[in-house]
Amino acid sequence: MDAPVLSGVEGPLLTIENLRTYFYSRAKRAFIRSVDGVSLSLARGETLGIVGESGSGKTVTALSAAGLVSAAPGVIGGSVELHSNGTRRKLLDGLDRYVRVKEHDGRVAEVEKDERGWRRHAETLMKGVRGKEIAMIFQNPRSALNPYSTIGNQLVETIRLHTSLRGGREAKECAIHWLERVRIDSPRLRFDNFPFGMSGGMCQRAMIAMALCAEPSLLIADEPTTGLDATIQSRIVELLAQLKAETGIATLLISHDISVIQRLSDRVAVMYGGTVVETGCATELLAPEAKLRHPYTAALLASIPSAETIRRKSYLQAIEGEVLDTIEVPRGCRFYGRCSRVTEAVRERCAGLEPPLAEVAPGHKLRCWLYPSAPSGAMHETRT
Amino acid sequence: MRRYLQTPGPIGEYSGLPLWQRAAPLDLIYVGYGLLVVAVVAASYLLGAFGWLPDDPQAMNVGLINAAPFTTGHLLGTDFLGRDLQARLILGIQAYFLPGLLAIAISVLGGSVLGVMAGYLGGGFETIITYFDNLVDSFPRLVLILLVIAAFKPDIYYVMVVVGITGMPVIANLIAGKIAFLRQKSFIEAAHALGLPAHTVILKHILWFNCRALLVIQATLGMAEAILVETSLSYLGFGVQEPTPSWGNMVQAGANYFLQGNFWPSTAPALAILATILGFQLLGDGLNNVLEGRRRR
Repeated sequence: MDAPVLSGVEGPLLTIENLRTYFYSRAKRAFIRSVDGVSLSLARGETLGIVGESGSGKTVTALSAAGLVSAAPGVIGGSVELHSNGTRRKLLDGLDRYVRVKEHDGRVAEVEKDERGWRRHAETLMKGVRGKEIAMIFQNPRSALNPYSTIGNQLVETIRLHTSLRGGREAKECAIHWLERVRIDSPRLRFDNFPFGMSGGMCQRAMIAMALCAEPSLLIADEPTTGLDATIQSRIVELLAQLKAETGIATLLISHDISVIQRLSDRVAVMYGGTVVETGCATELLAPEAKLRHPYTAALLASIPSAETIRRKSYLQAIEGEVLDTIEVPRGCRFYGRCSRVTEAVRERCAGLEPPLAEVAPGHKLRCWLYPSAPSGAMHETRT
Repeated sequence: MRRYLQTPGPIGEYSGLPLWQRAAPLDLIYVGYGLLVVAVVAASYLLGAFGWLPDDPQAMNVGLINAAPFTTGHLLGTDFLGRDLQARLILGIQAYFLPGLLAIAISVLGGSVLGVMAGYLGGGFETIITYFDNLVDSFPRLVLILLVIAAFKPDIYYVMVVVGITGMPVIANLIAGKIAFLRQKSFIEAAHALGLPAHTVILKHILWFNCRALLVIQATLGMAEAILVETSLSYLGFGVQEPTPSWGNMVQAGANYFLQGNFWPSTAPALAILATILGFQLLGDGLNNVLEGRRRR
């Protein structure tokens, strides 16, 4: 495992192995390979940042882990393991019997899925997990709250659902306590507010309170700062950092804002075209002077406007080409078409064979033919 | 001259204002009139049900036919058989009150179920409801009702079942639309992510919190519709049969004497129909504006 020392003795909290989530485009009669063989692991108390452009499969990965993918065919393979409170739960255990995948020429050509059977079985596996062990917060917090109910009522409802507090008064006190913990001023007054009477930042705080009140072991934060203005963004990021320090909750942080990832993450996974192209320790991977780097990560980091480019009013550095259309996945490296660092020495391999996720340094893996794997601990994982 | 007044109390407590202070005065008049009509109708229904009538509605008085209003003993006059119009008007409410409630119950319950299936489950159900809606829209309702009467028997409850069923697609569409709107806001997904069971999300968060105003409004409009259908049918002679009074057959019975100058026996029930249907319609409209915030100031 590439988890750093933060992990306890029991191993990682969340392990995702070779997860595949496909959707089907009826018009093109083709699969959209949103998540195509993603493996991740998350240690206790750790924050894993997932970065990537829009459409790289970040959100779908998180939704698959929480069992919230609703479009068909959805999750078709892989395993998700949650190891919390002393119990080991395989969240996709035994679900493979509802799916038949036929491969042709090394890629999925036909999927048969018993949606109802899958759903029914998946719900029994997710019982007591969703909301209780895995909580989620979303972008655009104002729309993630029921507009016709006060935030107090919504918070109380969640508390009654997930904790042993049943009485109205106790639950209300607990709700006010949580509103205080997410730094909402005058929580007693805010308790009776409707979502439209509050600012976006305040709604996100309420949403965070709702997610954390069950004291889950994993928080999935799906672009928590999107849809908020810049000053509020930094305050929400600050709040998440404080809450992480206070509660020690493990977080799966999804964002395309690298500064948010930098501030909060211990480790980073860079996703492109439905796969993880690079994972490693956040400080090393995002350091400006790092030598070992996937060309996509390099391009992503170069596209952040620096103070220098803004001062000189020079053009922003964009990544050439478009985000990979996950319908037509190329044979070779997914980034090959846009990569600016292909050399003649590796061109043939880049075009024809997908590079494995190889360990180039301790705890640092990347998927690129330019970097041959380190001799020790090399993984010969060639996806088919 | 307009006055602009800052409400005392903490700012941002817009929702703390009572509903009647937030509403436009015209809407309050609509709702007020509508509630008055509902109260009068409900009270009259109870009077009729317990038989506390000002006069015997079936007692004929051949010596006093087509009497004008304010005749002694007959506040609203008498009809062509000398029967007391006031008592018959009150008793006429029996003809549509319970059947109308049945129609409302059928359309609200059925419409909610269909709407939730279309909006929440989507897929094939949506298509089914669209076709159902088109089918209902493309067939004249009165003809359908007459067909049902011909096939079974001229019973007002059969008619109201048809009215309820044909009212379902409207409500189903409104609820499906509301759910589609709510889906854009991600709170349904967020509720699932928080671990709320599906029935709580559907019954509490979708139907109760977000659709209750819509359902109340549709119910009042449905009552207006039910009255209209009942009176139309009774007027045509397919609904409630003489001697049982209904506003529809009272208009019909009085119409024969209308051109002879005795316009009162048919005008009184017609005015009752007008005032009542107007009341329910205005109540629905006013509630729509007040509860759904259609008329913003």
